[in-house]
Amino acid sequence: MSNSAQDWINQWQALSQRYWDGWKTQGVMPPAGFGKADANAPWQAGLDQWAQLFGKGNSQSDLVDRVTANAKSYVALMQSMLNTSVGQDGGGSAAAWTEAVRNGFNIPGMDASLWNNPLGTNFRDMAGQGAKGFEQMMAEFGRGAGPFKQEMLAGLGMPAFGLAREHQERWQQLGSAMVEYQEQTNRYNTLILKSSQQGFERFQSKLAEREEPGRQLDSVRAVYDLWIDAAEEAYAEIALSDEFRTVYAAMVNAQMRVRSLMQTEVEQQTRQLGMPTRTELKGVEKSVQELRRHLKASREASAADMAGEIAALRAEVDALKQQVAQSAPAAAPRPAAAAVNPPEAAKPAAAAKKTKR
Amino acid sequence: MGPIRIEPQKALDEALKLQQKLSAGAQTLRSLDPVTFGVTPKEAVYKDDKVTLYRFRGERPATTKTPLLICYALVNTPYMVDLQDDRSMVKNLLALGQDVYLIDWGYPDGSDKYLNLDDYINGYLRRCVEFLRKSHSVDAINLLGICQGGAFSLCFSAIYPEKIKNLVTMVTPVDFHTPDNMLSHWVRELDVDLFVDTLGNIPADLMNYCYLTLKPMRLNQQKYIGLVDILDNKTELENFLRMEKWIFDSPDQAGEAFRQFIKDFYQGNKLLKGGLQIGDKSVDLKNVRAPVLNIFAEQDHLVPPAASRALKDVVGSSDYSQIAFKGGHIGIYVSSRAQREVPPAIHDWLAKRS
Repeated sequence: MSNSAQDWINQWQALSQRYWDGWKTQGVMPPAGFGKADANAPWQAGLDQWAQLFGKGNSQSDLVDRVTANAKSYVALMQSMLNTSVGQDGGGSAAAWTEAVRNGFNIPGMDASLWNNPLGTNFRDMAGQGAKGFEQMMAEFGRGAGPFKQEMLAGLGMPAFGLAREHQERWQQLGSAMVEYQEQTNRYNTLILKSSQQGFERFQSKLAEREEPGRQLDSVRAVYDLWIDAAEEAYAEIALSDEFRTVYAAMVNAQMRVRSLMQTEVEQQTRQLGMPTRTELKGVEKSVQELRRHLKASREASAADMAGEIAALRAEVDALKQQVAQSAPAAAPRPAAAAVNPPEAAKPAAAAKKTKR
Repeated sequence: MGPIRIEPQKALDEALKLQQKLSAGAQTLRSLDPVTFGVTPKEAVYKDDKVTLYRFRGERPATTKTPLLICYALVNTPYMVDLQDDRSMVKNLLALGQDVYLIDWGYPDGSDKYLNLDDYINGYLRRCVEFLRKSHSVDAINLLGICQGGAFSLCFSAIYPEKIKNLVTMVTPVDFHTPDNMLSHWVRELDVDLFVDTLGNIPADLMNYCYLTLKPMRLNQQKYIGLVDILDNKTELENFLRMEKWIFDSPDQAGEAFRQFIKDFYQGNKLLKGGLQIGDKSVDLKNVRAPVLNIFAEQDHLVPPAASRALKDVVGSSDYSQIAFKGGHIGIYVSSRAQREVPPAIHDWLAKRS
């Protein structure tokens, strides 16, 4: 080992110690077994303990979880890159750095099926709470059914007999739909994995462009941002492909078929227990909406009728007022003084004239 | 020479800085008040089921005779236009003298599952417009449609051209089949009937998940790494959380309206191609006769600029203008540039046509 490489390692270990010392001042302890000379202790371990400082149930705990999850990836990436730097003195190739980034995303303890697949990891982290129950159930199904798929499919195609035949056919449909959903999900996941791989390839070419003097990246954040650009570009290309469009729709449609058949099963059970079913409720909701529309239309129509009627009555009153006003002087010509103090009979017409619209 | 040259000391500085920010965040995050939005005083002037028509109150009376009605999308809440004191399109429009109204569509529940586009456009929207025509004693109002609300406003202006004096559309999709429209691409082969029949109303979480997957690494990862940078700044953190709340505090989508919107707009592209029916009314954009101002965002990943630009060639109005804003779908409301540029542009354009 050259002196400069040894110097770098010494320096790196000293810096790593400072990193952990920084955490210790905040009450976060390094992982068990961490010694002064251990530069390989996973830096992201500090983040878990940082998150625990908030406890659960804190109003910002979702945000803390999200920050922690992403900062862990970032810190692991940071550490992986620094480990790669040992002895390279800025001379590492784009391929070597790409490998460092790839390794940075493979955090020990993570689901091995997501190894080298940061986009897949991202999607799993993103899944909303509402989706988890269903996804977990399907994952369990996949694990259980996977090894027996052929036998299961053969069983699902068997004819049904006797009293329970209708029920059996429904269960067979549900089983087939679940298998279909698994298959479509696998097709989708294959494309996501492909996107991750192409992301690394793009990243490598983007890095190669940075080999020109003066264009080198000099911070982990800059490397990280370049990786994000590459990953998004690769994903966008796949997500806008005809293949993705078909696979995506097939996966969503397959999931909807499973959900729909499960709803039917739940309805079977609730009906037998004398509870209202979703179908019945939908029928009521549809009727309510139709009544609502009808009521609004009737109100508007009657308001329009009323307005028309009022307008017609006003016109009639106006016409009558005009008639009265025109006929009154002709019927009884008065002396000039009478106009100053009109007789009682003439007063309503005069009053009406004042309020004429 | 290699592509990366990171000095160990600089890298450690980065790590320590991250650590310090996280440490400061432990204090800041605990000291935050609950996030609120919608800052300009307003009063509910009309209600129709869950729909509320609000009138905003400026610091001085409006100087315009014709009211300006903002018609927002059904997705997300409309408070993006009045997010906070220094990021409020509404406040800026009021300051310029506009009389601003806003339709809040509310949060549909199971009983609203069968609301369709006829209910929304020929029903709620029309009745809000009627209310304003009557209360302001005007024949026609100014309408400002945003995103999906812009598509609704175009439909409305085509069906009832006599009721619209001026139409402003913002980040509004017209051509749903441009090659860069990822959302449209994904739903093209979707069995929408099965989807809606199964889910009923479309859950907001599902919609948000779908939006996040348009740019998964940027929106679900890079954004939160960026958040670490502001963990020690209470004001910026509150701004971030306010935006975060707006993004995820979303209404479910009424199933039937969603079904029709996906089938006719996203899959059939009927707003552009023709053949669109809203209830018993046909929509032909050639019937839009009011002056039109079409504002779109150049970096919009939800409604690509080309999807909005298409309006120019299909609208019937002889007075058409467009503005390309340098920003994204959300930045057009909340960025500092937007505060400086968008409300004055709308106000000036309307003033010339008052």
